[in-house]
Amino acid sequence: MYKPLVSPRLAVSRRLTALTLTGGIVTGLIVCTCFLLTQGMGLSDLASQFIGYTFGDPEGLDQTLTRSIPFILMGLSVAICLRVKFWNIGVQGQVWAGAMAATAVSLYHIGPAALRIEAMFLAAAIGGGLWCGVCGAARLYLRANEVVTTLLMNYVAAFLAQQLLYGAWRNPTDSYPVSQSFAPGETLALLGFGHLHAGIFISLAGALFCFWLCTYSRVGFMARAVAANPLAARAVGIPVGRVVLLMATLGGALSGLAGFCIVCGEEHKLTQFVGDPDFIFKSIVIAYLARANPLGVIIAAIAVAGLDTAGDSLKAFYQLPGATVLAIEATLLLCVSSFEFLLRYRLDWVKTGKVAK
Amino acid sequence: MSGILTAWLGTIPTFAAPFLLATIGLIINERAGVMNLGVEGIMAVAAVVAVIVNLSGGDIPLAILGGIGAGLVLTAVFAFMAVVLRIEQVLAGLVTFALGIGVSGYLGDSFENQPITGLSPLPAAWFAHLPPVLAGILDQDLLTYFAFVAAVAIWFVIEHTDLGLRLRATGEDAPAADAAGVSVPLMRIGAVMAGGVFCALAGTHLTLVGSHLWVDGMVAGRGWIAVAMVTLSRWSALRAIAAALLFGAVEALVPQLLSSGLNVPVYLIEMSPYLATLAYLLISGFFQTTADAQPADLARPYLREERR
Repeated sequence: MYKPLVSPRLAVSRRLTALTLTGGIVTGLIVCTCFLLTQGMGLSDLASQFIGYTFGDPEGLDQTLTRSIPFILMGLSVAICLRVKFWNIGVQGQVWAGAMAATAVSLYHIGPAALRIEAMFLAAAIGGGLWCGVCGAARLYLRANEVVTTLLMNYVAAFLAQQLLYGAWRNPTDSYPVSQSFAPGETLALLGFGHLHAGIFISLAGALFCFWLCTYSRVGFMARAVAANPLAARAVGIPVGRVVLLMATLGGALSGLAGFCIVCGEEHKLTQFVGDPDFIFKSIVIAYLARANPLGVIIAAIAVAGLDTAGDSLKAFYQLPGATVLAIEATLLLCVSSFEFLLRYRLDWVKTGKVAK
Repeated sequence: MSGILTAWLGTIPTFAAPFLLATIGLIINERAGVMNLGVEGIMAVAAVVAVIVNLSGGDIPLAILGGIGAGLVLTAVFAFMAVVLRIEQVLAGLVTFALGIGVSGYLGDSFENQPITGLSPLPAAWFAHLPPVLAGILDQDLLTYFAFVAAVAIWFVIEHTDLGLRLRATGEDAPAADAAGVSVPLMRIGAVMAGGVFCALAGTHLTLVGSHLWVDGMVAGRGWIAVAMVTLSRWSALRAIAAALLFGAVEALVPQLLSSGLNVPVYLIEMSPYLATLAYLLISGFFQTTADAQPADLARPYLREERR
């Protein structure tokens, strides 16, 4: 008789890491493809929808890249927090907080008019940073589980936004609950390719900054120590609490900037659709597929944005419900994270006693 | 005004029951050391399958069983990821959530907005001799009654039986439980599946009792609220009743306020239970009560071969 024996791996080679990640993604894609094939689509249809339209067609590419701007920032937000094992599942709330802060600066004409957009940028970063930093502080000083606090802060932000949109900030001349449109100087410039706006530079700069922070800076070094073993990190004099708090605040600020990019780049006013509840899961998919690597986040965010674009056209042409995209993303993440098992543990088959005779 | 009050009090149990069922399901999970964030997805799948079974000619008990079965399939996926593969539980839970929402949207696509008869309350005549307010509160359906009875029963099993002791030991100190002869993986899988039954029941309650139809996205964050309510009730199924009644009372208040035409900040009222839970978390954190009540091995995968 044989039975399985699971033992943790002490060292993992880069080759094995790359192999498991590829294996997970490929398996996930195969499963999703098989499902879509059963829905009456041919392989050529799939290729034209998922690759041709999403990345090859100007209209589809425009939608993909525009969507990837906030996705990169949100993915970075979760990735930065994951670097210190802080689960940020409050991205939706932080996006709302950033968007509301930026809108407040515009509506109440805060700061000199020439620096209005810069003030909105700053306000969004502070708003999002506070929204997540509070949860970091609660974990640090009050031992409150960040999974629950960041989650609850989503609802606080979303209801606050609804209250403002139906109340004080409502544009009386519009039949929808939206705020006044921003003045021309308060929006991000279009880049001349569809809806693509200058926010793409913000998100790319954010990714580079996070890469520098995690790889070369002092804080990034300390964060690695905190993630590996908080007790040992504390023993060698690393301020564990302050590192976690800093990374959580920074993560929140990045999500806040995603909110800024949505209101200033896409909507040009505060609408009901700024903080989508789906952001919570999508940002985690992005951060996890990128293995919390800021540069990997760029690729993962564009891929997830591409899935969204393809999902929209699947909805239109094949009558597949919109939730199908969520199921596809979940399947991908399921396969990738399940393959992690092989990375973390070694599976052996050992003989049990009875074989001896 | 008293009419509103009677109507409001009468609808509270219906609003509270799904919260209560999901919360006790999660308490069973978490007392064994597993954090299941997939509850929203499990509820959605159970809710839609119950409607599909009912629309396809199955009666109410069959619809409930169908909902439980569908919820358990998804729960098994979570249990496999979280307990067998030892993936980080937050991640496994989020995958389960998204899978459940996606699958329910896909399955329910052609059954949306089709009314079902659903589960009706007990005959009003039984309560005719009682004062109207009390009659309104007591005249509920069997699933709602079950939720409150189950909360007490689960509390008793967890706190006062041998099985409950083993369950709590697994959640508090998995290595010690293992050394004492409790099979940690089996106990955790059992707890996740048992908890999944209650989470699925919460989903069936939403469609069979609450809305009497399926609409995509109708679980609307109730599963996430249950996750927070576990903390609010400090991992006690008995206190979960109070927590569920609090959230149920606020949820039941909103439609009454809207129909009354009073000019009140509806969204701020809807926000209040979340703020109250946050405030409670922070205040109890200050006095160290919540963190002490949290099972010490919550969300920590256990492998005998792995030294800690």
